[in-house]
Amino acid sequence: MPLIIKDEYPEKLFREDGKRLDGRDKNELRPIKMEVGVLENADGSAYLEWGNNKIYCAVYGPREVHPHHLAKPDRGILRVFYRMATFSVFERKRPAPGRREKEVSMVITDCLKPVLFLELYPGTSFEVFINVLDADGGTRCACVTVAALALADAGIPMRSLVTAVAIGKIDGELITDLSGIEDKAGEADLPCAMTWFNEELSLLQFDGKMDLDEFNESLGLAKEAISKIYEIQLNALKKKYIEIQEEYSGGEK
Amino acid sequence: MMNIKRVISTIEKNYILSNLKKGERIDGRDIWQYRDWNVKSNMIASAEGSAEVSLGKTKVITGVKYDVGAPFPDLPNEGVCTFMAELLPLASPLFERGPPSEQAIELARVVDRGIRHADCVQTKKLCIKEKKAVYIIFVDIYVINYSGNLIDAGGISSLTALISSKIPEGKWENDEVVWTGKYLTGDTLVNELPIVSTYGKIGDIIFSDPSLPEELVCDGKISISVTEDKITSIQKSGFATFTIEEVEMLTKKSMEFGKKTRKDLNLWQYKL
Repeated sequence: MPLIIKDEYPEKLFREDGKRLDGRDKNELRPIKMEVGVLENADGSAYLEWGNNKIYCAVYGPREVHPHHLAKPDRGILRVFYRMATFSVFERKRPAPGRREKEVSMVITDCLKPVLFLELYPGTSFEVFINVLDADGGTRCACVTVAALALADAGIPMRSLVTAVAIGKIDGELITDLSGIEDKAGEADLPCAMTWFNEELSLLQFDGKMDLDEFNESLGLAKEAISKIYEIQLNALKKKYIEIQEEYSGGEK
Repeated sequence: MMNIKRVISTIEKNYILSNLKKGERIDGRDIWQYRDWNVKSNMIASAEGSAEVSLGKTKVITGVKYDVGAPFPDLPNEGVCTFMAELLPLASPLFERGPPSEQAIELARVVDRGIRHADCVQTKKLCIKEKKAVYIIFVDIYVINYSGNLIDAGGISSLTALISSKIPEGKWENDEVVWTGKYLTGDTLVNELPIVSTYGKIGDIIFSDPSLPEELVCDGKISISVTEDKITSIQKSGFATFTIEEVEMLTKKSMEFGKKTRKDLNLWQYKL
């Protein structure tokens, strides 16, 4: 039986005053809050609120590979487990991981691998657990961003952080950072992530329709947005160490 | 590095035990003292109801979702309320990914039984049309940080999530369910407030609200759910055995704890 209230989208995704449904300008990001070291039992952890997205991420590693046959004699392995809570979406998600979750896990693994020195850790594994508790569009980008932070928090050597954002097209216009409704009702969705050590794209997916000019412009918009998110990421990482420093110096800098 | 956290050394076990013998806890609490509660509600926009509950450093997040379906043939005019718990690997290196572990199933079942037998969720009010359509309420518990005593934290967070729920009200019209435009809130869903309290036992010493190291070394635990005047469910786990006198003493303690906690946490304040 269908749910009592239906998941319907409005016809127009821009309001009369030219702003988006949530009141944002075309290239305005949603409010982003990041925090590291939030979980005491993990080697590294981070929490992210990005609009209505609420995501916890924990990193364990380097640690023994389980099951053992997955271990590689010449390098460590990275495994990412992206999971959505049953109540994170409009219609309750089944508890077991679905095809989408497995695909997104793989995409995030591939996106994070370039920044790690896996060859320095033969026979071990790094495990990244990402749990989306509330989802509102752009979760894979949010997950890449928060996973990079958790890896850094775990003290794992990295070439750089990774930062991601989604660019989309609604009512024929390019917009930055799609919300849930804009993702479902819009015309195109382009999630991408950048590794900062070489400033190259390490996650790139595209669904929808754009012409070449729009696509190229999107990548420019993405770089601009990613730079802003990178600042927030860096500040979240630094904040933890500033707090530790203050604690040990008795408040003096 | 992580392996250190996985096992409790004999020295730490002896330290916990010798402290308990003196009536002290390693974290400075006395034998019957609980860690601090911290309750937040309605942080998950996508859920019909939600709660984030911390008991000391233990943290669980619970969300409520609904579905509409056919009732069970033997209960044609009653809705259904199901509980699920997941021990997320991010909460502790002791938790592994994969299908629910015994511990996760126990957590969901004990919370479920405490609430079910207390006549807490008003399943008769969750019927839209007899034999045709009833609400199915899902209460899903996610453990975010494991620092002992998940059952008590799970119980309070489930109650809070149910109380803070807002579920669209449906009516039966022309053989289908339509929305009345109104919502069912916590006072329709929830009647009694069952409170579960857990006690650990090492040797012949019993204490309440076991923390993680205490839980790892204890011989067994007992969880008792109570309403204002009745016991609604008990779960003994682990290899410890309890004397009849001990069980009687603990049920009395649980009643007192239930009354105090119901008053202190004032869960009805989270109703929308």
